[in-house]
Amino acid sequence: MSERVAVIGCGQTHHRKVRDDLSMAGLVREAAERALGDAGMDWTDIDAVVIGKAPDPFEGVMMPEVYLADALGCAGKPIMRVHTAGSVGGSTAVVATHLVSSGVRERVLTIGFEKQSEGDTTWGLGGGRSGSVGAGGYFAPHMRAYIDRSGAPDYIGPAVAVKDRRNALKNPYAHLKLENLTIETVMESPYVWEPVRRLESCPTSDGAAAMVLTNERVAGSRNAAWVHGTAIRSELGQFPGRDPVNPQGGRDCAADVYAQAGITDPFNEVDVAEIYVPFSWYEPMWLENLGFAAEGDGWKLVEKGVTDITGELPVNVSGGVLSSNPIGASGMLRFLEVALQVRGLAGEHQIEGAHTGVGHAYGGASQFFAMWVVRSEKP
Amino acid sequence: MSEPVQFVSQKVDLDYKVVTSPVARRFAELMRAGRITGHKCPVCGRVYVPPKGFCPLDAVITDESNEVEVRDAGTLTSFTVITPIQYQGQEEKEEYVLANILLDGASGTVGQQRVEGIPHKDVRMGMRVKAVWGGDADEGSRGWGLTGAIKHWEPSGEPDEPREKYQDHVL
Amino acid sequence: MRDVAIVSFAQSTPGLTDVEETETQLLFPVINEALDGIGITRKDIGFTCSASCDYLAGAPFAFVQTLEATGAWPPISESHVEMDGAWALYEAWVRLQHGDVDVALAFSSGICSRADISEVLAIELDPYYLAPLWLDPLSLGRLQAEAVGQEPPTEQPKYTDAAAAVILAAGDRARELVGRPAWISGIDHRTDAHYPGVRDLSKSASARIAGEQAGVDKAPVDVAYVSAQYPHEALILMDALGLKHVFGLATNPLMVSGLIQIGTAADAVIKGDASRSVGHATAGPCLQQNLVAVMES
Repeated sequence: MSERVAVIGCGQTHHRKVRDDLSMAGLVREAAERALGDAGMDWTDIDAVVIGKAPDPFEGVMMPEVYLADALGCAGKPIMRVHTAGSVGGSTAVVATHLVSSGVRERVLTIGFEKQSEGDTTWGLGGGRSGSVGAGGYFAPHMRAYIDRSGAPDYIGPAVAVKDRRNALKNPYAHLKLENLTIETVMESPYVWEPVRRLESCPTSDGAAAMVLTNERVAGSRNAAWVHGTAIRSELGQFPGRDPVNPQGGRDCAADVYAQAGITDPFNEVDVAEIYVPFSWYEPMWLENLGFAAEGDGWKLVEKGVTDITGELPVNVSGGVLSSNPIGASGMLRFLEVALQVRGLAGEHQIEGAHTGVGHAYGGASQFFAMWVVRSEKP
Repeated sequence: MSEPVQFVSQKVDLDYKVVTSPVARRFAELMRAGRITGHKCPVCGRVYVPPKGFCPLDAVITDESNEVEVRDAGTLTSFTVITPIQYQGQEEKEEYVLANILLDGASGTVGQQRVEGIPHKDVRMGMRVKAVWGGDADEGSRGWGLTGAIKHWEPSGEPDEPREKYQDHVL
Repeated sequence: MRDVAIVSFAQSTPGLTDVEETETQLLFPVINEALDGIGITRKDIGFTCSASCDYLAGAPFAFVQTLEATGAWPPISESHVEMDGAWALYEAWVRLQHGDVDVALAFSSGICSRADISEVLAIELDPYYLAPLWLDPLSLGRLQAEAVGQEPPTEQPKYTDAAAAVILAAGDRARELVGRPAWISGIDHRTDAHYPGVRDLSKSASARIAGEQAGVDKAPVDVAYVSAQYPHEALILMDALGLKHVFGLATNPLMVSGLIQIGTAADAVIKGDASRSVGHATAGPCLQQNLVAVMES
């Protein structure tokens, strides 16, 4: 009933605040060509493209798949565009996976991108009106609620920020390269959305991520990451009694994907995780939400260095969203990075012996979730 | 010798008509008269402020027959202090507090409400607040809707609510 | 491939303009009608896909609001495409192939009457070379009409407000839900190159390929509903799909028209008015992107 899905190619751009050397078409091609090269394929080998990105007002181009069809070699082929807010990079990869697992297509190129320098992200997040508080302004009260509930000490957020930026120094594609960042420096820096400081917040980046997904026959004997599960969940964003701090949607998404992958003890069975942390406190929050820690204990893993690159459960060794955030690509970068890990291709930030990786993305009012589990072995 | 063109600034200006739905219009008019209202779902009993015209959890339509009034006072369940980011069209310059407030009688919070009349560092979860209405209802000088009719919220002076009362009401 | 059918279709009153409701409020009764028609509730839906356009609504993340029409609590398996609802239907069809869920909901909404559509559509064009020309739909329509030797249109299409929903079901579940499921015997979508200048505008290569892949010509077609805004578009599509007669669009509710055409074609089968029908959706300038679905009894 269901084909096995292999990730045989991964490619991403050098993420920067402004990629002034490329148009949007050039940006997606840079990532796509790297993915095709990694896969040992050419544009003509692809039979479908699935592209995802965040709201079009960020660049001022409506439905950009229409314009990008040429740059992505799509004449005569199908192209679809997914849009699920911040989780889009992840849900795009999930849609691409379905195309292969269903047997409808055999070789799918999936891309996520954002060229935020072409617009103004804060303006965009505010619906083009005055008074935009950005994503941080919306999430800050939720992070405050987590701190209040868990009793976490105030340096935990800064510790996450320092860890992810230190990891980014080992990732040639990462945007922020902040040498010598310390917890003290972060704690002394100004707030933007109190209790969240600028140095604890994601940058806005231009960037793209791409992967080539195929079925088993096409993958052949290539070095592949095998998809063992995908899950996607949406939750109403605002209703009385909703908990955005430990959202049901995230818990359900994780439970679904773990069940598909046969994971019953995430903390011990997962070797490496890339989870969507755009503001520092979301690492301890999501560690709990995704079942890596009991409720209220996520911050303890951070404090003990468990999520460091040398720890028992390395989280965001790529530098994460805190180091590179082309919004439309960020979710896909999480999925891509764990695929690189289980293929042994993560270079300087490779985790030795990584066989099982979890990629996670979220968006909207912490209401859209997408996850996948990849392994070095076939399901 | 001129430089090659690297960037072309292209401002896209689109006009949209912002239409207030009938449910939102009635809510806004009642606000102008000094009353905060919501719809109570006939199935689950949740009171939605502002009203949506339906309960998304039970998938039932609601209307004026489900209208209830809530107090213009409540509990601050969480908040942030915003340092405004400057971008084209931004009018905010100074830091300000935005809070989620659980009004007495409502089941969920009204979000991103401005709180003033207290040093920012003293704002806290569980604090009791009351509305500061703008203009004059009788003179017709009050604005419309939640942000037009109410200028901001300020501490009411009542004792703070304990964590059990506010922790499940972040939203 | 699993047998998947359209089992229910509902739409808002055709031809609406200047609606006062939000997209969510428009969708609410439409989704209810689609569900009630086959006696199921939101809890019976295994996967949902929605479609809309932020730039049409005039707000980033506008699509998030329509989630409220789905009753997404407890959380649901749901995704969204920023395309015509026909592509939400396609994604739902693909998802049902997996075998773990049997019923899916695809819906879309769009309110055209709050903006100048000729300006909004211009910004879907290449931002470096085409958008600065502000090519509006009428100008593009005139270009294509001349290419195919037809009288150029003199008026922009009438853009309207709408919401529509389709329910898909697989195998025996489809048979349980409705007496005559409209089985999707083929569904495919393709795009042409973007620049009108590099294409032969007198033909729609992507519609032809999509039609061939969907198997339009495998058997006689009783009725076809295509997303043609102008007579010349209908001619081009008839040629591409090998059809002698098609019903086009009387008005164009952007983001919903393709889903409505496919739903209407499916309804003809469900109601017993047709044994085999075709529905079509399009996007992009001059019929750039095309989706074709073939339904059979």
